Amino acid sequence: MRKYSSKKIIKILLTGFLIFSLCLCGCVSKSTENTAKYEIKIAEQYGLAYAPISIMKQNKIMEKNLLGVEVSWQQLGNTAAIREAMLSNNLDVGFMAIPPFLIGWDKGMEWKITSGLSASPIGLITYRDDIESIKDFSEDDRIALPQPGSIQHILLSMACEKEFGNAQKYDDILVTMSHPDGMNTLLAKKDITAHFTSPPYIFKELENKGMHQILSGKESMGKDFTFIVGATTQKFHDANPEVYQAFVKSLNEAIDFIQNNPEEAAKILASVYDLPEEEVLNYISQITYENKVRGLKEFAAFLSRNNYISKDVSDLNDILWEDVDYVK
Amino acid sequence: MLNDHKYIQRTFWIIVFMIIWESIALSGIFSPLLVPSIQTILYSLYLSIIDGGIIAQTLYSLNLILRGLAVGLIIAVVLSSLSMIFKTFEGLVETLITIAHPLPGIALLPLIIIWFGAGTNAIIFIIVHSVVWPMILNLLTGFRSIPNIYKQVGQTYGLNPFEIVAYIMVPASFPYFLAGIKIGWARAWRALISAEMVFGAAGGGGGLGWFIFKKRVFMDNPGIFAGLIVIVLIGILVEDFIFNKFEEMTVKKWGMTI
Repeated sequence: MRKYSSKKIIKILLTGFLIFSLCLCGCVSKSTENTAKYEIKIAEQYGLAYAPISIMKQNKIMEKNLLGVEVSWQQLGNTAAIREAMLSNNLDVGFMAIPPFLIGWDKGMEWKITSGLSASPIGLITYRDDIESIKDFSEDDRIALPQPGSIQHILLSMACEKEFGNAQKYDDILVTMSHPDGMNTLLAKKDITAHFTSPPYIFKELENKGMHQILSGKESMGKDFTFIVGATTQKFHDANPEVYQAFVKSLNEAIDFIQNNPEEAAKILASVYDLPEEEVLNYISQITYENKVRGLKEFAAFLSRNNYISKDVSDLNDILWEDVDYVK
Repeated sequence: MLNDHKYIQRTFWIIVFMIIWESIALSGIFSPLLVPSIQTILYSLYLSIIDGGIIAQTLYSLNLILRGLAVGLIIAVVLSSLSMIFKTFEGLVETLITIAHPLPGIALLPLIIIWFGAGTNAIIFIIVHSVVWPMILNLLTGFRSIPNIYKQVGQTYGLNPFEIVAYIMVPASFPYFLAGIKIGWARAWRALISAEMVFGAAGGGGGLGWFIFKKRVFMDNPGIFAGLIVIVLIGILVEDFIFNKFEEMTVKKWGMTI
């Protein structure tokens, strides 16, 4: 019953060895990148809540604050993709809501919050007249939101915890949809009952007759909170202190620019988003752009209480870089 | 004998692969989030099995696949039979294939949501779309490979065109038919998983694609691998126990292939 001659075994072992060495080659070549003197890789995201990033890019603020810096702007689909790109060191800075940041931190991502970016209206919209609060949903209704674990999902769960004592109450009637898909489906009044969304979709939906908001982010949370924060990897922060400082400075300048010159900012953003200037001005006047971080403790406590993350944040220094303006 | 050999080879390569994987994981070159160790993956799989989640989701996915595959199969058989009988129909089917075959189902998604909504019907539509065109291509190739003399024998016996298709052409092109089902099955899996990852769960637990998507958004990377392992296992089981058995019972028994 000799099925394998010694020659054959050698062949098989050689093939295995070759595959293994190819894998190792991959590891080695990866660590020899990054030759530019100063480099920063930032996730470019569209949407009004991310406006300071667009201003920073368009006005080349980073380049002014640190001569010789090479800024590479990367476009990624969603929060999960940004997190994955940061994990594989293809991205130094990413922007997202607090819950996805905390989920990554809990799973062992080595990153901390650099700054707040914006606070914005966010809410649950429906067209059904008979639905006036979250108590009125039945099993047959469907609520659309971007994805489980998103800030929209967490805010809905917070409201459910308050109302019913069960944060997961509506988890089985959720539908995952991107904001534009969710808006179109809601306006068609067919497949979904309600849509948990943020600007500009929330504004556009409410412009339609019969659409009304039954829950706002502030009602769920009980106080103001930061919608989008910027997070930076430990590796980038430790290895490039000058670039990191320049980035923080530039981000603050971009935020100040929008606050102090809303008309000019609207003009720049209108060309980026391809929207009318007045519309953009109207939208950005309803969003608060600030570098302060609010609501971190509340999100962390809720997430750990409901087992979305395995541990509560005991020391804020574990998740905030130095000099972050945290408002209790 | 031949089968034993195949299983030994396969086991050997899986073990080699696992050793390489585990040594990379243990070496610490990469973060455990990028390359989780095999124990954590298996533990995550175990947890998903005991809470029943992954089993229900697998059944949900299999149910959708079988429905999509059945509909796709019927459409493919009907269209390819008709095009063997009527010449004008052949032109129509060939045009349809030229247009639709290169279109990925996911690219049609925005349209599908408008037409069918975001529920199971949309997912089944994507499965049918990804299954039906390669299956028709295979069936037509099979029909055309049949020697003309078979058809003429049928005509001499006075069979009508439908009987010729049913009694001569379908059995004679059975190996192609089987290959078509195999391709259809693989295509259906891919279509289903990608559709589920986009649609999510329209209420209830959702399927395997949804399982993986959820693991992704909660950054449970060992869980992602657990989902992939289930997909691979189902693929192997179906290939070994359904397709191979079916082949032995039909084309091999009939002496059509070796």
